[in-house]
Parts: sequence; structure tokens; C-alpha cells
Amino acid sequence: MNLRKRLALTRAGIMESLQYRLGTAVTLFANLIYLVLVYFLWKAIYASAGTDVVNGMTFTDTMIYLILATALFNFLEMFVVWDMSRSIQSGKIVLDLLKPMKFRSYTFWSYSGSHVVLFTLTFIPTFIVVMIVTHGAIPMGINLLYFAIATVIALVVNFSMEMIVSTICLYTESTWGINIVKETIVLLLSGASIPLAFFPDGFKTIVEYLPFRAVYDIPLTILLEKNGADTIEGVLPMFGLQLIWALVLTLAGTLFWNHAVKKITVNGG
Amino acid sequence: MNESAFGNEVKKRRRGFGFYARIYRKILVQDLKSKMSYRADFIISTIGMIMTNLSGFVTFLILFKNFPSINGWDYHHMLFLYGFSLIALTPVQCFFDNNWNLRFQVQSGDFIKYCFRPINVFFYFMSEVFDVKGLGQFAFGIGTLVYAWVHIGIPVTPLVILKLILFLITASLFMIAIMNAAAATCFWIVGSGYVMVIMFRFKDFAKYPSNIFHGVFRILFTFVIPIAFVAYYPSLAILESENVPVLTWCAPAIGVLFFYLSYKFWMLGVRKYDFTGS
Amino acid sequence: MENAIVMKNVCKDFKILNRHEGLKGSIRDLFSRDYKTISAVKDVSLEIAKGEIIGYLGPNGAGKSTTIKMMTGVLEPTSGEIIVNGRVPYKDRTANSEHIGVVFGQRSQLWWSLPLIESFKLLRDIYMVSKEDYENMLALYRSLVDIEPILHKPVRQMSLGQRTLSDILAAFLHNPDIVFLDEPTIGLDVAMKSKIRDLIKGLNQQKGTTVILTTHDMGDVDALCKRIVIIDKGMKIYDNDIDHLKTYFGSYRTLRMRLSDDTWEERVIDESKEDVMDVIMKKQKECKIKDIQLQEISTEEVIKKIYGGEEAASDTSAKALEVAAVAADAAASSEEGGAK
Repeated sequence: MNLRKRLALTRAGIMESLQYRLGTAVTLFANLIYLVLVYFLWKAIYASAGTDVVNGMTFTDTMIYLILATALFNFLEMFVVWDMSRSIQSGKIVLDLLKPMKFRSYTFWSYSGSHVVLFTLTFIPTFIVVMIVTHGAIPMGINLLYFAIATVIALVVNFSMEMIVSTICLYTESTWGINIVKETIVLLLSGASIPLAFFPDGFKTIVEYLPFRAVYDIPLTILLEKNGADTIEGVLPMFGLQLIWALVLTLAGTLFWNHAVKKITVNGG
Repeated sequence: MNESAFGNEVKKRRRGFGFYARIYRKILVQDLKSKMSYRADFIISTIGMIMTNLSGFVTFLILFKNFPSINGWDYHHMLFLYGFSLIALTPVQCFFDNNWNLRFQVQSGDFIKYCFRPINVFFYFMSEVFDVKGLGQFAFGIGTLVYAWVHIGIPVTPLVILKLILFLITASLFMIAIMNAAAATCFWIVGSGYVMVIMFRFKDFAKYPSNIFHGVFRILFTFVIPIAFVAYYPSLAILESENVPVLTWCAPAIGVLFFYLSYKFWMLGVRKYDFTGS
Repeated sequence: MENAIVMKNVCKDFKILNRHEGLKGSIRDLFSRDYKTISAVKDVSLEIAKGEIIGYLGPNGAGKSTTIKMMTGVLEPTSGEIIVNGRVPYKDRTANSEHIGVVFGQRSQLWWSLPLIESFKLLRDIYMVSKEDYENMLALYRSLVDIEPILHKPVRQMSLGQRTLSDILAAFLHNPDIVFLDEPTIGLDVAMKSKIRDLIKGLNQQKGTTVILTTHDMGDVDALCKRIVIIDKGMKIYDNDIDHLKTYFGSYRTLRMRLSDDTWEERVIDESKEDVMDVIMKKQKECKIKDIQLQEISTEEVIKKIYGGEEAASDTSAKALEVAAVAADAAASSEEGGAK
């Protein structure tokens, strides 16, 4: 499988995403309103707290964290689980399996196009707006490079989790149920709805070693240079954790998928 | 009544509220029967529902561990608001869940089947799905509300109970209206799935006091995307003994209006849609 | 005879965005206001008498479905007038739908997880069919097909054939005046096809229901329709008896020749353009001809000629396979046929 083939899928994905032009505009707009909601809520929360710094996070820190988490969430959002359950129902899954590319890789590269579009259309504008509004509260240096690397690994971890959940759907008929469990856990434990810094200590220690953190919390912590991420010595363990989870989940996902596919072939789809 | 044997005579009878209630009940009973055959799905979905509610609750607890009050609202009042919003979100979950499938049916062209029957398209479409899981959320909401109620020490009188029921129904109308309108965008916009996702996430903000919003955004979240009506304004009717805002008393009428408008918007989508998908 | 459907100068236009090719084109489309109007149906006039079974034919994208959607009240015509059962269907969709039944190919309109009998009961309530009429209809169904094996089966567990059968039965349940069948036999095996044709014929005869049938299967047309209407590119190009069709589009015949190596070569010849004898003589110069047969052309082949050979090859009927070799000229342009 060569790179040209993969990039062809990326290109097709970009074109497909752009077809939905009104949808794209509405997405951008709806996101903006969501960010306004987040802003007002936390402004009120900090105003009621009486202090400027809570658990090492200022209002600006929290805002940047949550806004960028939302932007990351939108950019990472995949519908693999839903697509998969629909193609299982319609039997299209058999055609997908016959494609001259490994299914896992095919799915990943098909989605890469929409990731590129969403990154450009949602993450970058949000990032620029946040940067201007907060007057340089985001450090601008080597951390940007680290952040880019961490985001790419986050993408792989996220994709692996999606694939594992999708594979579970091959065994059960409950797409909604499994998907909601996944989404709930990821949103809470990755720090996308409340920064992990606010979690109670015991709980936080457990969450720090779970893979969910690798998706939102690590890239954002690195970007904001919190928790010792302002030095390379502080960043490396975070990369380490991300990489370990990326490897473990990819491996586990692949093995699980291969096992599940055997089951499909036996059942005849 | 004269039960005429001639088909045409019978057909001339009007299809009123009684007719629709009867049809809905029959579909519901059949639907529940067939759902029993998917036991695994039912159990997993219920677990999922419980998890979502638990996670929402954990978020809430973490927040209050760090910040003792929000805009003058203490823990128990916030909990009341939270329980109230959960109950208000139950009808949209139970009865209007098929909105989530609208986009796919419209895109594939399968939606056309709803247009061939002599009954209301909106009713026919929504009647197809009754989501039992919503009841779990309902129970969770009741529990939270009762707990907060007892701790705040609101007196229980028939009038208060009546008010509670009225304003819960009011609140639920707003959420139904939001989701109807969000779903109906798919008649015009291809790839509008995200609108529903984000509107559904907006509901998470319904459980916070809406006086945190200022200026133009207060108007936006009250009259355009009415999340302030999903819990905040209606619940003030119970929580406040005096100084209840005018908007609270207007809420039932506004709720009916919003529901009606969202219904009209949805039906306009059906008429505008050209069914070219095949 | 009274008319069930009258269409006068009906047109239907759709507005669609002009899309551009390639990655740059996609980005340009994001801001483009470049719409083009497509006429799906152009000035179609039609009268359909009560109790008739009419074949409504045309290649994919000819405007068949659009016409049916207008007749059922789902779409509003851009201009022109449609009267169904004395009503304007678009203005009075609900009232119109009480008196029509619709089957749309492979899209089941039944409740997916319910056993067929429960779907029937719900439909009985929705259409307010009296108990007596309902029982009579079920009795009629029993006399026409063996419905017992499917009656208590959930629709999602049915085979395609059973599902189609169920959908047709459901469409007739409230004894409508008109039933629209959009490709009812698509994808079915030969036995099931003939079962469904018998059922439609039986119901039409017993209940006097008007049936509008769109299909790509000429077997359906030959078995059921006396009159056919053909549209192509939105325009009505033929509206007459099926027997008339064969003479209308030139006098076609099939010439079969057994060659020296004992293979049969077949050719469809338009006698208004070339002479059969010329063809034989020309061939004889190339090789020896052992035997000659001359056959009247089938409906299938005429239609194929009318469509320009684009559609018929996508048909999966046994007949289509039979004549596949015939249309050497048509086959060249029809590798894949329909984009279904």
C-alpha cells in the first residue's frame, strides 16, 4: 500500500467535506455560540469563587483550556461507530472488507480528509481568536511543535478507541448504548468538560494513567505549558504515556478486529 | 354512532386527538413488545443512560468541590435546577428521539414513505420510536429533585405540585422545540448532523442559572435558542416565593408558541424537500 | 369511461448547484451561486381511466418517479394541472392518500420490527377500515396467495420477495382507487415475479383498482398492461396500446442465421432502413449460411431500441439474458446500464 493511495483518500475526504458548504458554515456558527456559553458559565463561576486562581488555573487558563478542548473535540470527532453499524445492518461491510486496502487503514485515511478540513476550519480560527483575545496568554515557542506532535498521537489514540468500540458493535446490536458509554467516559475522563486540574486528588491520579487523557489533556497541557510542560524533561513523559497508549490500543484494536472479522466471515455478513 | 359498512362513509370521520392517541398507544405497545426481543441492546443502552447521568452528576460535584456557589446559587438550589432539567429533558428523549434518524432517512430518500399515509407526517414519523431509556433519566431526575426539595425545605402543597407539573411540561416543550428545529435543518442543509449534536450539548447549560448570561447573549439564549426556559425560568416558579420574573409566568404560553413554530418549521421542510435522493 | 387521473401540461423543474471538478472546484463551490435548472418532467399530459393497469416506462432518470411523486401529492408540479380522483393531490395530500396505495420498489413502508399482521392492524386503524371490509380483504388475499407463512413474521426477517409481497398487500388493504407500484419486481427471482404479477392482476380484477406500474421488466408489462406510456428525458414519447408499439417504432424483426461453424448469429433489423435480403446477401459473401429464421420482435427489444440501448441490458430478467446476444449493437453502449 503506497502513500499515493492513502493521500488520494485524504483528498477525496476533503472534497466530500467541502460539498456540504452550508453544513460547514452552520457548524462554524454553532461552535461559536457554544464557546460563548462556556465563556459565560466560567466567568460566573470564577466571579463567585472570590479568588483569581483555583487549583493553579486562572480564568484565562481555564477558558483557553476548555475552548481549545472543544475545538479539539470537534476536530477529532469521528462517526466510525455509526458508519460501521449502518454498514453492518445494510451488509455494505462486506464490500468494505473487499477493498484492496486493510479496512483499518482504509477507514483511517478516509477520515483524514475531514480531519484536515475541520482542523483548518475549526481549530485554527479558534486558536487565532483565542490568541488575539487573551493577548499572548498562549506561549509561542517550541511548545507549538510539541503540541502538533501530541495532537497527531492523540488522533491515533482516538481513532484506536473508535475502532475498538466499533468492533464491539460487531458483537452486540446496541450501537447507541455502546457509543454513549464511550462518549461519556471519554468526555469526562479526558478533561474535555472540566479540566483535570479540578479533579479531586485520588481520582486525578487514576485518571492520569488512563488513555483518555492522551486525547485532550496532554496536547492542551503541553500547549499551555502547565504541569511542568515548559521543559523538555516535563514533556517527554507525556509523549511517553501517549505513545504507549497509542501502541497498546492500536495493537489491541487490530487483534480484536481480526478476531471479529473472522466471526463476520463465518456468519456470512 | 352509526358504524357504516361502506368504507367511504367511515373514512369521512375526522381524525381528531382521540384517533391519534389510539394509534400512538397501539404503535407503542407493539414497539415495546418487539423491543423486548433485543434484550442485550436494552440493557447496554440503559447502562449507557445511567453512565451519562452519573457523569453529568460527577461533573457537577467536581465543580462544586472547587467553587461553593455560582452566581448566588448554592449547592442545593443548583441541584434542584439540575433535577428539574433532567425531568424536563425526558419527553424529548422518550417521544421525539426519532429526530436523530431524520437526517439519514432524508438523505437516503426513505423519508418519502411517511408522506403516503392519511395521517400527520410529523406524528407518523415521531410515533415510530419510543425511547424507553428516557425513563431512567426521568427516575434520576425525580430522585435529584426530591433530594434538593427536601434540603431547601419547600413546603409541599397541592398548588405547588400543580405548579411543578405545569412548569415541567412547559420546560419540556422548549427542549422539544429546539430539537425539532435542529433536526429539520437537514431538509435544507446537507451534512447538518452537527447542528443536532451541538444543540443537544447546549442542553447541558440548561442546568445553570441563566442570569450568568449578559447583554445580547441573554436575549439569544432566552428567545432564539431558549435554553434559559429549559430549567431556569420555569423552576423559579417553585423556588421563589415572591419576585418571580414575568418571563416565568409567560413561559407556558411561550413554550406552546415555540413548539408550534418548530412544528411548522419541520413541516415546511417536508414540503420544501424535493425527494430527489434515491 | 371515467378518468382516475388527468394530467395537463405538467412540468417539474429542480434547481441544483453547478458543481465543479477537482479539489479547487470544491473550494470554489463553497462560495458559488451558480445554479442550474433541470427539467425532470416536461409538458406531460395524460389520462388514465378507472380500472386500467398502465405501464409507465422509461430509462433511469427519465422522470418516472417524479411523475409518481406528483400524482401522490408529495411534490408540487412547477406548472400544469393534475387531478387524481377529482382532487388536486398536492393541495389535499391527506385526503388524496386515503384513496391511493403506494409501493416504492425496495423501500418497505411497513413497521420494520412488527409481524405483518400487526402492521395490517395498524393500517386498518390509520385508514379507518371497517372490521368487515378488513376481514373481506384478508379473505381475498388468502384466495390469491398463501399469506399464512408471512403473516406472523416480522418484516425485518423476511426475504426481499416476501417483503415486496407484504408491501403490495399493505398497499391494497384499504381498498384504494389507485395503486402506484414503482418497480415491484426488481431483484426478485422468476417464481416470485410471476406470483406477484398474478397477485396484482387478481386484485385489479376483483377490486377494479387502477394500477400505475413503473418497471424495467418487460415481463411485467407483457403480463399485466394493455396500455403503456413511455417517457424519456421528461417528455412523453409514447402513449398507446402495447400491440401498437411494435409497428409504431418502425418494423423491426430479428434475423437469425446459422453459420458454417454451427453458431447462430442474431441481428435486429429495422426494415424501413435496410432490407433483410441485403443483410443476408452481405453476410453470405463472408461465410456460408446454413439456416435462416425471421422472428417478430418482442416488446423488450422495441423498448430497448427506444431507449437507445441504454437501459435494457441492466435488466436481470431471464428474457434479457436470452436476448443479450441479439443486441450486439445495443450491448456495445450498455455495459453497466442503470446506475441503481
